[in-house]
Amino acid sequence: MSQLVLQSIVSGVLLGGMYGLVALGLALAFGVLKVLNVAHGELLMLGGYASFFAFTIWGLDPFVSLPLVFIVMFGFGVLLYLGLFRFVTRTEIHTRIKNSLLVSFGLVLVLQALAVRFFTADERTISTVYSLEAFTIGTVRIPMVRLAGLVVAIVAALALEWVLSRTRFGKALRATSEDWTRAALTGIDVRRVYLVAFAISAALAAIAGSMVSLGYSVSPSIGLGWTLKALIVVVLAGLGSMRGIVVAGVFLGLVESLASVWIGGQYREVAALVLFLIILSFRPHGFFGRAHA
Amino acid sequence: MLEVEGLEVAYGDLQVVWGVSFEVPKDSIVAILGPNGAGKTTTLLALMGLLPVKAGSADFKGESLVGLPTHKMVDRGVVMIPEERAAFSTLTVAENLELGAYTPRARAGRGETMEEVYQIFPRLAERRKQSAGTLSGGERQMLAIGKALMALPELLILDEPSLGLAPIIVENIFGVIRDIRDRGVSVLMVEQHLEMTLEVADYAYILEMGSIATQGTGPELEADARVQEAYLSL
Repeated sequence: MSQLVLQSIVSGVLLGGMYGLVALGLALAFGVLKVLNVAHGELLMLGGYASFFAFTIWGLDPFVSLPLVFIVMFGFGVLLYLGLFRFVTRTEIHTRIKNSLLVSFGLVLVLQALAVRFFTADERTISTVYSLEAFTIGTVRIPMVRLAGLVVAIVAALALEWVLSRTRFGKALRATSEDWTRAALTGIDVRRVYLVAFAISAALAAIAGSMVSLGYSVSPSIGLGWTLKALIVVVLAGLGSMRGIVVAGVFLGLVESLASVWIGGQYREVAALVLFLIILSFRPHGFFGRAHA
Repeated sequence: MLEVEGLEVAYGDLQVVWGVSFEVPKDSIVAILGPNGAGKTTTLLALMGLLPVKAGSADFKGESLVGLPTHKMVDRGVVMIPEERAAFSTLTVAENLELGAYTPRARAGRGETMEEVYQIFPRLAERRKQSAGTLSGGERQMLAIGKALMALPELLILDEPSLGLAPIIVENIFGVIRDIRDRGVSVLMVEQHLEMTLEVADYAYILEMGSIATQGTGPELEADARVQEAYLSL
């Protein structure tokens, strides 16, 4: 294999890890609340700026500020749920998707406009002393900050799986996602489950944003692009497995990256979407999805 | 124990339950019987706070249940098993039972309660690690009842426990319901199966078109010509 192919496999896997990380939160909100939050990418954008400003203003290393960003955006998620998405979850399960699309598209516009107003439209990247460091295996370069993004994605997926399978609250989450009525009849406070699941979803988007501003870049308009990737990943993986989402993210990143080498840069997304359609026609519930999910 | 007075429930403009009154005394099994579409399930869902109550009252041990969130009712001891597949199919049998003891009141003694449930339903103990989605219809109903018992109910509400089950399994389940009553849990059940239900129920109400048509003990209702007529004409 040529050096170019090997290098694009590495970049594809690393970028794909980010796709997976962004998709985790989207899948959580969709699976539990049955809402589709297209402003998920804007939450990522805010997380990216949070890390960026924590670094430039207070000199906080992005890995140090990561837990802070998680907590702050968890709080922001709570506010968003109470102020907006709470009203969406009051409707019938089948109308939630439509209503959440309307509400979250509005949120996209508002958050983008506010970001331009307060952060300017400039592209920002956190440049630390280690930003340019990389491992080299043979002729292939593995940038450290991008590798960190993949590691964070894997850790987040495993942590989420642990919570879902081992903790009482995680089981309540799974129960609510299967059937909220039966969950309520079990004694679970469904509204609280919704609140916490949404807040975790927002915090996960923000964590992804921190990694994006470190390994890539943030600007007010990056949100929708990430949301779109996350949507593809969630559909590709299917609901039901968190590590499956990271695997599907890596797969998408890999396909895009190889397509741009073998077919041409302008076809990377086309190739990925064509493959996506082919896969879905054979596995309509995704790689790891359960038939009823 | 439970007193329902003049309950009215509507889906938007479509009123389904018209002034239903009934009561469940302590340590008894009360059944609400009626054909499909009579408003039986609607009555239960409204009682549990899953549908808005338009008018009327529902008091449990002297305190009103109207307007209380569903999970709080479970904490007070009012536990309902919904129609079909009440357990979570993506969770294992043991996880389902554990989740049944979700409320603060039930959580403390959940180990002992689980042992009791396994004694009542040894089949569940055999399948404790299996996912609930792989159980047979009868086993699923056992799990649903077991899960409800984990919440330490004082009033257990069952929505058509016989639905889709073979007669021999229904008999088994009804036997368990009687045992549960004998353990000091009051039972309210909704059913379509007239004869089998009247054998186990201490008192029954017949619901038709959203109102109580008649009521009485099993023998009284069996002797009632109108009930016979209504059910034989089905």
